Amino acid sequence: MSALSEHLLDEIRELPAHYPQPRSAVMPALDLAQEELGHLTPEAMSEVARALQLDPGYVEGVATFYSLFHLRPVGQHRFYVCTNLSCMLRGANGIVDHLKETIGVNDPTDVSKDGLFSYDEVECLGACEYAPMMRLDHQYFYDLTNDKIDALVAERKGAGVKTAGVEAAGVEAMSPPNPPRERGGKKRKASG
Amino acid sequence: MAELRGTSGEGPNHLLTRWFGTPDLHTLAVYEQKADGYKALRKALFDMEPAAITNEVKASGLRGRGGAGFATGVKWSFIKRDTPEQKYVVVNADESEPGTAKDRYIMENCPHMVIEGILIAAYAVGASQAWIYIRGEYDGPYRMMHEAIEEARAKGYVGDKPMGKDFPLDIRMYRGHGAYICGEETALLESLEGKRAQPRSRPPFPAVKGAWGRPTLLNNVETLATVPTILNMGGAAYAKIGTEKNPGTRLLTVSGNVKKPGVYEVEIGKTFRHIIMELAGGPPDGRKVKVFWPGGSSAPVLPESMLDTTCDAEALAAAKSMGGSGGVIVMDDTHCMIRAAHRLLKFYARESCGKCTPCRIGGDWAVRMYERILANEGGQVELQNLRQVSDALQNGRCLCGLGDSAGWVIDSTMRHFYSEYEEHCLHHTCSVEAVAAHA
Repeated sequence: MSALSEHLLDEIRELPAHYPQPRSAVMPALDLAQEELGHLTPEAMSEVARALQLDPGYVEGVATFYSLFHLRPVGQHRFYVCTNLSCMLRGANGIVDHLKETIGVNDPTDVSKDGLFSYDEVECLGACEYAPMMRLDHQYFYDLTNDKIDALVAERKGAGVKTAGVEAAGVEAMSPPNPPRERGGKKRKASG
Repeated sequence: MAELRGTSGEGPNHLLTRWFGTPDLHTLAVYEQKADGYKALRKALFDMEPAAITNEVKASGLRGRGGAGFATGVKWSFIKRDTPEQKYVVVNADESEPGTAKDRYIMENCPHMVIEGILIAAYAVGASQAWIYIRGEYDGPYRMMHEAIEEARAKGYVGDKPMGKDFPLDIRMYRGHGAYICGEETALLESLEGKRAQPRSRPPFPAVKGAWGRPTLLNNVETLATVPTILNMGGAAYAKIGTEKNPGTRLLTVSGNVKKPGVYEVEIGKTFRHIIMELAGGPPDGRKVKVFWPGGSSAPVLPESMLDTTCDAEALAAAKSMGGSGGVIVMDDTHCMIRAAHRLLKFYARESCGKCTPCRIGGDWAVRMYERILANEGGQVELQNLRQVSDALQNGRCLCGLGDSAGWVIDSTMRHFYSEYEEHCLHHTCSVEAVAAHA
């Protein structure tokens, strides 16, 4: 029984053809694996390696280098709060303290008891004019306050409550919940 | 989309942002109809020889907007166009320098401006394929760029015969996965090739051996977004804006303790007093500017007394700093310099790729010194250690500039705020935070 679904492994095996050299497919492949499992297990990394005909140690070496690959379980929703200078000067540390208390998680390696939430303090996310800001899953949220954190957490606890409530709380949503998946620059026909 | 904070609409020297704010500017139709869109590409493909395009960019005096400030046209001319081998244009959209958000601002507002610049550059250097390396956290800009590329493909501007010209141009995207070091061009190339992002030693330079071992032109998003403007107005006219050695406008991200943080397009040569006090509204009422980083966290700090420094590369070099990525971070007088330096050292220590020993070890050392100092356990030893670590990090001891940047934080904060270091280390107090706590 493999960690990754057969269908996903097929998809991974197709990736290398989309790059000038096959090795470039390693990160898009790890993306797919992480999307399916939530985090990258040793088994998943080995299967990615096998599918791409790479050394498992090499694949793990890549996965451990980049902060967006998770090597241990994360919450269903993950808060990435920027605490670099521009955000710190506008109160980011207080936001992190409040968030930790609200979701009941004390360390970036932990997950809330209900499995819903985890967080990390991250480096500059490139939206400094809206500081303090964060990325929650695949969305940016700006001008953070404790109230906005409360609203976002409450909405995600009460499943079914949709983004409308977030906007009512005055939180700006920048991108759709699920951005288009990187397909590694599939060859497309020019139409014209 | 979130409200625009920064320059948009008509204004003196709004070259890139004059159409920002136009409804649906991100679509190809509006970009063409209202923003002179793809006019420069048409001109480049049908009215100019590739060498003439590069010469026009040279004449403009444009310098790279990513951080290093290298002359763009000169960089283009390093690529030997008429060789049969595959060449690449790689776009650095890995904007990660603390305090910098301008590439995001451009990609969200006007993705086609970036695409037009990429296509012109690719044609000029003879590259049939361009790769946009975009940081993984930029979901929104990724989506906008991706949709814009598909629009341009459908319209026939990207493809086998762009606008009918027999010169294939393709643009593809590659997402980063969270590593500051990928902003460094050779680390970016390693990452694009599916490796740990550790800088390469140079030579060979990317122009000779870049992505996948092929000649590669690497430019920043803003740099390429400026190219259509240069072709439309002419290099000579562009060169008249800004300063003689550092022409044009650039987008400065002003953040931190200011009333109106935002991404402001300014003519190069304006003073930071104008940028911080006028454009960004100055610090909150009752507070004063204490210090500012003129070009991202890697640019050595300048104290309030140097607000009249102009934002061109030469003036900043004379002030022992640099224009960097244009991220202007402002800190007011309620914040402790040591705490800010500690935060930045944590950043550099965390983001060190680990390849060069001084940077891998030095960053952590410095963080430990700052932690002791902030815990009121510091003394002469810690001050001395910080100096030594700072020296070890700098002066070409590492393959890339990350270590230098970390060293400059220590150096420049010590240079301008040594009394705060002494207060912390010798008297174990922080008068700044004591005052702030009572305010």
